[in-house]
Amino acid sequence: MTPLATVTSHIAERSRQERRKATAPWLLMLPALVIVLIFFGLPTLYMVRMSFNLHVDQRLYVPGFTFEHYVNLFSNPLFTTAILTTIKLALVASLATVFIGYCFALLVWLKPARWRLMFIGLALAPLLISEIAIIFGWWMFFPKNGLLSYALIASGLIRDKVSLMYTEFAAFVGLVYVTLPYCFFILLSIFDGIDKRLLEASADLGATPFKTFREVMLPLTWTGILVAFSQSFIWTMGTYATPSALGPDTLWTMGFLIQEQMLGKHNWPMASAFAVVLVAGVAAVMVVTRSLQTERNSFHV
Amino acid sequence: MTAEPALELRNALRRFGSVVAVNDVSLHVGKGEFVTLLGPSGSGKTSTLRLIGGFEELDGGAILLNGQRIDHLPAYQRDTATIFQSGALFPHKTVAENVAFGLRMRKVPKDEITRRIAEALDIVRLKGFEARYPAQLSGGQKQRVALARSLAVRPAVLLFDEPLSALDLSLRLQLRAEIKRLHDELKFTAIYVTHDQGEAMAMSSRVAVMNSGAIEQIDTPETVFHAPVSEFVYTFIGESCCLPLRITATGVEDRKGETLGLTLGERPGEGECRIYVRPSRLRLTGDAAALPNRLRARIHFIEFLGDVYRYHLKAGALELAADHAGPIGYAVGDVIDIGWRNEDARVFR
Repeated sequence: MTPLATVTSHIAERSRQERRKATAPWLLMLPALVIVLIFFGLPTLYMVRMSFNLHVDQRLYVPGFTFEHYVNLFSNPLFTTAILTTIKLALVASLATVFIGYCFALLVWLKPARWRLMFIGLALAPLLISEIAIIFGWWMFFPKNGLLSYALIASGLIRDKVSLMYTEFAAFVGLVYVTLPYCFFILLSIFDGIDKRLLEASADLGATPFKTFREVMLPLTWTGILVAFSQSFIWTMGTYATPSALGPDTLWTMGFLIQEQMLGKHNWPMASAFAVVLVAGVAAVMVVTRSLQTERNSFHV
Repeated sequence: MTAEPALELRNALRRFGSVVAVNDVSLHVGKGEFVTLLGPSGSGKTSTLRLIGGFEELDGGAILLNGQRIDHLPAYQRDTATIFQSGALFPHKTVAENVAFGLRMRKVPKDEITRRIAEALDIVRLKGFEARYPAQLSGGQKQRVALARSLAVRPAVLLFDEPLSALDLSLRLQLRAEIKRLHDELKFTAIYVTHDQGEAMAMSSRVAVMNSGAIEQIDTPETVFHAPVSEFVYTFIGESCCLPLRITATGVEDRKGETLGLTLGERPGEGECRIYVRPSRLRLTGDAAALPNRLRARIHFIEFLGDVYRYHLKAGALELAADHAGPIGYAVGDVIDIGWRNEDARVFR
């Protein structure tokens, strides 16, 4: 081989290596990427397309292109009320979940390690039961002859039996119960990343417990709070079974309406339009919470 | 040596379940004094410090700061500042914000805070690091920020909780000298907890040697080193070889009953006892010739420690270690003379 040929072959070898370096991560990601695209990307695209199809007579859908379902969605007071109801319920339930989950996780973090396993077992318990079984549980709890009623009478707080079954409160409690474990574990993992000596250092420098919470704990857990809120919100926006089974008949959530359009009215395009709005709404909330995370709050993670 | 006590512990007691972590500790620390609590882990030194800082509750006794009882106050109302082993810097705050924290909590005016941040960072030689986050600092820099943060609030007493033990040796020595220099300049009152006797010796006005929750001896580093009151203090401060012996009416024997050529300056009376000699005080070969305590010993093995060679020796049932500046010209297995002066040994029984 001539010297020149050696040099060019070296260069070719080098660029081949570099190309391999650039493609390696993509190759490694490929299996996961394929699964995500096929099982999540395609159905979502298909759903978006479906929402523009026509709905004629009692046929599920007729291929075509119309904005009619979206217009209907935002002009029919029945639908707009449902959207608002869903957002309100999800918002209140998520805020409550984050608050309770935060207190619970803080307690577990501060308590000595020997209590930890018990608390974690307690938090895991709801995850071991399916949502349906949990709903049955609440059915024993809320009605007139349920546990709650008897407990209130026994404690002397009320004299006549009460039923909280099929109230918005029951739906709210059910939603909180289902999302709480996830929220708790997200927050606990954040707490576990914090050096407990920081609390002592803060007190040592003259900060009252309240100031320590505001100046040290809250900033350090802010990211966790946002993540826990996002996941709670996504769950409570989309969930269907719990609010319909525990709430009043008049509690029409988006999940309920999608089910009704799909199975009751056989209007697939309308159901899809609802689903698209739901996904877009949740995505918007994700973007907003993401933007509330500042760079400095993620320093310790 | 102490005009007015800045800090006083009166019979401080702290239990953890059935364990007495701090057992009847009394301590006076004068204004501007640097007192070290020295002891092995579990000796109660950190618990004592945490009692003063307000992180543990007293089970008995009293703590006074400038004459006022503080043991009923929560940590945030005590005029103390702790430098933690981990530094415990707030990771979400910059260096300047960390230093400002204590000042803001004490409601110091804004321009005064700015001035004091600059002053504190100047003292610990970290000017120009104001905007950095703790994650962007090295271990030594973090501890300096922690020091600046505590100094900035000008507490009545500074509490050091093994602040250097997480650092590597050269950095430890460097920061140790720096803390010493700062103390000489600023004359702050400090209590320093460590298990490193070198640190204790180098920095302290007085050293309190602690063992199982109590102070065994408290005195100047020189006195603690040269005149330890107990076997524990002697063995904890510096290295030493332990010779288990038996003293009889006729002389000194080892535990096997072999008579040894030792005179011993102080004789504790007949019976079993232990003699301690520091490796640096043992004389070898010709140097040992005229000494009152002499043994014939076989060289077991030799370690090169940098400054000195350490000869591990066996004299019958006794094991000794002796340091010598250079090689002595004997090899492993050779038998040599060793000896020491009476004043270089301590007898405990």
